[in-house]
Amino acid sequence: MEDLILELKEKIIEVLNLEELTPEDIDPKAPLFGAGGLGLDSIDALELIVLLEKSYGIRLASAAEGKNIFTSVENIAQYVSQNRKK
Amino acid sequence: MTDSIAIIGSGIICALGTDKGQVRDSLLENRTGIGELHYLKSCHKELPVGEVKMSDAELKQALAVPATEEVSRTALLGAYALRQALADTHLSPQSLQGKRITLISGTTVGGTDATEQYSCANNTQAIARIVGIDCQQSTISTACSSALNAIILGTRMLQGDETDIVIAGGTEALSLFHLNGFNSLMILDHDVCRPFDATRQGLNLGEGAAYLVLQRTSEACMQKSNIQAYITGWGNRCDAYHQTATSENGEGAFLAMTDALQMANLKAKDIDYVNAHGTGTPDNDKSESTALRRVFGEEMPLVSSTKSFTGHTTSASGSIEAVICLIAMQNRFVPANYGWNNSTPECITPVALPTQKELHHVLCNSFGFGGNDSSLVISDREKPFCSIPTCKCTFVGENEVTQEEELKELRTYISPMESRRMCKIMKAAFLTSMRALEKAGITAPDAIIIATKYGMLENGQRILSTIHEQGEESISPTLFMQSTHNTLAGALAIHLGCHGYNITYSQGEESLQWALRDAQRLICEGKANNVLVGLHNEMPPQLLYSKSIIVKKV
Repeated sequence: MEDLILELKEKIIEVLNLEELTPEDIDPKAPLFGAGGLGLDSIDALELIVLLEKSYGIRLASAAEGKNIFTSVENIAQYVSQNRKK
Repeated sequence: MTDSIAIIGSGIICALGTDKGQVRDSLLENRTGIGELHYLKSCHKELPVGEVKMSDAELKQALAVPATEEVSRTALLGAYALRQALADTHLSPQSLQGKRITLISGTTVGGTDATEQYSCANNTQAIARIVGIDCQQSTISTACSSALNAIILGTRMLQGDETDIVIAGGTEALSLFHLNGFNSLMILDHDVCRPFDATRQGLNLGEGAAYLVLQRTSEACMQKSNIQAYITGWGNRCDAYHQTATSENGEGAFLAMTDALQMANLKAKDIDYVNAHGTGTPDNDKSESTALRRVFGEEMPLVSSTKSFTGHTTSASGSIEAVICLIAMQNRFVPANYGWNNSTPECITPVALPTQKELHHVLCNSFGFGGNDSSLVISDREKPFCSIPTCKCTFVGENEVTQEEELKELRTYISPMESRRMCKIMKAAFLTSMRALEKAGITAPDAIIIATKYGMLENGQRILSTIHEQGEESISPTLFMQSTHNTLAGALAIHLGCHGYNITYSQGEESLQWALRDAQRLICEGKANNVLVGLHNEMPPQLLYSKSIIVKKV
């Protein structure tokens, strides 16, 4: 799981162009969206949906579905490990 | 001296039919033109679309274009509708002789191609060539409100006596580019769309073109032109909220509608029908409903979105829906909001079935990415305007950036989090804009006018190569929402909180000239005291050119 969390952090930084951040800066339990976390927005959420599909073969049906998954890096890792197709 | 603006001709081609008669019949019989994808070669059979039921070959044949000639479908559709609009005026070639004719066309995707051959301006040029008219040309690219903004510019040029006859509207063909782009934003409905319905899931894309022919009423009467209606008011505002989403309170839409009514000298109760933008996305319909309630309150007129008939024809939607308004006025009915069944408190209640009604004043809404919100009032009677006074303007704060190295300086103005999605040309546009405003001592301009030859060429190329290399479904939503030509104007408005007039010109080498002329026009009209004007061009990998300037009233 630790490996997957690090991999996700690296991919998130790359896909969302968070140039200023390193994986260590992202707390796996911290919220990704809104205040008090990374401050990502709805377009970032769409990018994360593309990331899940491209990297892990997971296809989400709607943006709303993503909301429950993208709460934290740890939560995404959990979801990926249970649903990944590649 | 007073005069007014008359509509003396119109033409349309869309999923509902290839002329005004067919479109009228489909609307009266409540038949949608949306169905399974047929002409565009795409893997997305699950996405319903509103295609024009003619192949490129059939369009070429109808227009007497040689089958071997390379012409974009966008230009073919445009030429088809434009030829119809001209024929509809019944003006003889002799009566056009010596007249200053201006063609203003709105296009976006038609110009988002990796080759110079298909720039927005070249589409407009191709249309004029196919139809065989000799005229001054301008191309507007404000995404989905392009065509309505073309009509607004034409109206203003006639008011200012800059031209004698205007042909204005827009054209857009379906493409893999925007079908997959909208799909990446997850806002496409897999059934026929249902604007304002509680169960709405998103929009269906469509294609088509429509043009209006406009003339000053005094000259139209002298020439015995067939006056079909009048343009009596317009509003062009920016939501300044988000690149693709609409604000909760519908500020941009509210301001555009309010401006249009005020200019037409009309009260809420005077409007008989609103043709809403109503795309069918949860976001747009909710926000537009809020804006409509803010404008009309208890006096809500009949409202419908006709996008469940035509699909969302993007850049062409403004003129397609303006011609639908005209058809409705001429045939005394309100088109239905096809497919609507379930009311919801967050949306207005639209007209469910075609309804007979005498229409004196109608309002047509057209909104686009970047928060480019425009509204137009079409009336069955004149609204006189006074001639526009001339005024003196001066340029301040001019500066330019051509070296990528310099872009680091953007940090002075923008946080890394805000700039994380910015491509090179956007960084350059922001840097020169902030410097110009700083030099001029202005925190937020009254209006933003951008000129660009190819738009967001780098993002466009990246999307096209992704489709080519990785298949249709791998498009990045960030790249797509920053691929329209008006991306820069919209992003600047968001950053600066500028809800004023906002437009993007893409007329080749003449783009800056059109932008500067418009800034001066806006100031003379009394609609702004200062305007941020920019010319931003990129041609990866080498060319980067960004210049910003403030045009100020003296």
